[in-house]
Amino acid sequence: MNPRFRSVFIRVMRRWVLIFLGFEVLAFSLLGTNFFSLDTLQNILVSSTIVLLLAVGETFVIITGGIDLSVGFMVGFTGVVCAKIMVTLQAAGTTQAMAIAAGIAAALLVGLLPGFINGFLVAHLKVPPFIATFGMYGIAYGCAEIICNNVPIHDLPSAVGPIGHGFLFFWLPGKMFRVFVEPTGLSSVDFQHLITIIPNLSALALVFVLVFGFILAKTRFGRHTYAIGGNIDAAERAGIDVKRHLVKVYMISSFFASLAGVCYVLRYITGRAPAGSAQVLDAVVAVVIGGASLYGGKGSVSGTFVGAMVLTTLVLGLANLALPTYYAYIAVGCILIFAVLIDQFSPELVHKED
Amino acid sequence: MKRRMILVMCAVLVLAAGFGLAAKTYKIAFMPGIADPFYFTMEKGAKAMAAKLGADKVELIVGQYPATWGPDAQVPFLDALMARGDIDLLFTAPTSTQALIPVLKKYFDKGIPIITVDTYLGDGDYTKTSDYSFPLSYIGTDNKLGGEVVAAQLAVLLGGKGKVFLENTNPDTSSVMDRERGFRQGLLGFPQMELVGVEYCLDVQETAQAQVAAALQRNPDLAGVFGVNVFSAQGAHAAVAAAGLSGVVKVGTWDATATLIEALKVGEVDFILAQKPAEMGSLCVDWGYRYLASGKTLSVPKKVVPGFFVFTRDNVNSPDAQQYIYSK
Repeated sequence: MNPRFRSVFIRVMRRWVLIFLGFEVLAFSLLGTNFFSLDTLQNILVSSTIVLLLAVGETFVIITGGIDLSVGFMVGFTGVVCAKIMVTLQAAGTTQAMAIAAGIAAALLVGLLPGFINGFLVAHLKVPPFIATFGMYGIAYGCAEIICNNVPIHDLPSAVGPIGHGFLFFWLPGKMFRVFVEPTGLSSVDFQHLITIIPNLSALALVFVLVFGFILAKTRFGRHTYAIGGNIDAAERAGIDVKRHLVKVYMISSFFASLAGVCYVLRYITGRAPAGSAQVLDAVVAVVIGGASLYGGKGSVSGTFVGAMVLTTLVLGLANLALPTYYAYIAVGCILIFAVLIDQFSPELVHKED
Repeated sequence: MKRRMILVMCAVLVLAAGFGLAAKTYKIAFMPGIADPFYFTMEKGAKAMAAKLGADKVELIVGQYPATWGPDAQVPFLDALMARGDIDLLFTAPTSTQALIPVLKKYFDKGIPIITVDTYLGDGDYTKTSDYSFPLSYIGTDNKLGGEVVAAQLAVLLGGKGKVFLENTNPDTSSVMDRERGFRQGLLGFPQMELVGVEYCLDVQETAQAQVAAALQRNPDLAGVFGVNVFSAQGAHAAVAAAGLSGVVKVGTWDATATLIEALKVGEVDFILAQKPAEMGSLCVDWGYRYLASGKTLSVPKKVVPGFFVFTRDNVNSPDAQQYIYSK
């Protein structure tokens, strides 16, 4: 092959996921109804929140060569804890703000424990990650069902909905611009022209995604994560405290799962034990099509972000065309296998030759 | 010159408005609660009414059927449907009395009238002012009355005494909780009947079957079971049949799916309360269209209640009754 053509080809193929995302957007924009719009874009962002958060946590674990299957039911578990505390405190007569803050804080704190146990089992007791986290998957689900007594928790504080469905900016062109607080008392015509920008949940998720993307790409912690996945013995010889590091990585994963659980409660105004269980596979798929290798050592948060967008765009695009969702399952399966094949046979296509 | 321009522009505007009103095809959207025969039948009824009104008057746009029951399954599809931006009116079955309030309110604020069908927001009373009273109407079964009818029917079959079990589904859903309230209320009239338990299957038929099977084991003298919707009823039927107790334990069910109708014919189910989903869908399109066509001035009743029909072994084969069987 002409070397110049080859280098261009490799450069293009390296970004096949991004090209695929562009293709999706183009196809749905042409075939669908008003798909290419601010509303749809924001809908894709906010609908991908849970998968995105799970996938970013999972990215760290997969780069170390592990996998965290517990994150699915961790969403349900932390969501139920969050909702239960909100409902209980509200019933006890605290203010809504207090109840909501306490629920969120408790969920984020409690969510760290399963990650610590996962990490301890994997790093110190040499339990295969698949088994350790699969066990935790069951434990988290069972605990969640016990806490919520087998039924979804409802009647949450009424301020939960406006937070979960709110936006950062409200803009009425030429008339007003508000931050965070939804304008009230508008005429119905003004309401129809009100432009809402950046859903709260997306903003929350993106902050954490950016911070942890930075940590992975630019800090020593990130470099150690790659090193462990590349060659764990070499990493140990190089003086990295591998065990300690792995525990932290699994705690990051479960922290992201807890964030997803909190987002679930804020958006769906309920706590359900099975919440998120359907998203584990999607999260792993997002990480893998984002360029990570299940053998470890490769992957990035930006790739995972694109991977999550590919999946959500597919599902919502099919919904826009009113096509049944099971086409999405087939498409996702094909994309996943394609991604792994690329990784397997032409790693130079996906990753920089260094 | 300037004045003439203004005149011409006014004339164009008036003409355009006239054409706009005359030629307007209203886009009415339907967002179902879950993929099951009840909502398939509702869509069929809605389609029939849209066709009757004429394709130039109403276009029915149906959202993606969620695979499971709950706001997490419904909301993304609802948002995808509404992001089309060309919907004139929405009718939907909110999958939670609370979680769907901010979602539907958002579309209401954008000027899209909302009808809730089969299930409602809050306590369903849209006549008094509250944060959930914005829908145009609730169109659906009087579920509490239905629950009372089931209790009475079971009581008749059991001679007014015995232990009964209630298989319910989602505790944050208006319709099925009203059925439970009605059932409890109805049982009060029969002091020798005892409700020994209530379980919630969250619209998973296998869960319903397991819960009813467990109830049968705990209560060897159980005399009757009531399954409150498609999934609870089909699960209850499957559990009683699998235990070999058909006929011994009376099975009262709700929602006339083909599965339950067959079970009624062979004696594994004792009666079925059939709602009228096709009529609900039809009413939503009809009221929705008339409201839009009136320039949103028509006063729509805040509650529209189609009746229901009770299938028993005596009438299940009658030609008249066949229209109430749910079908895709």
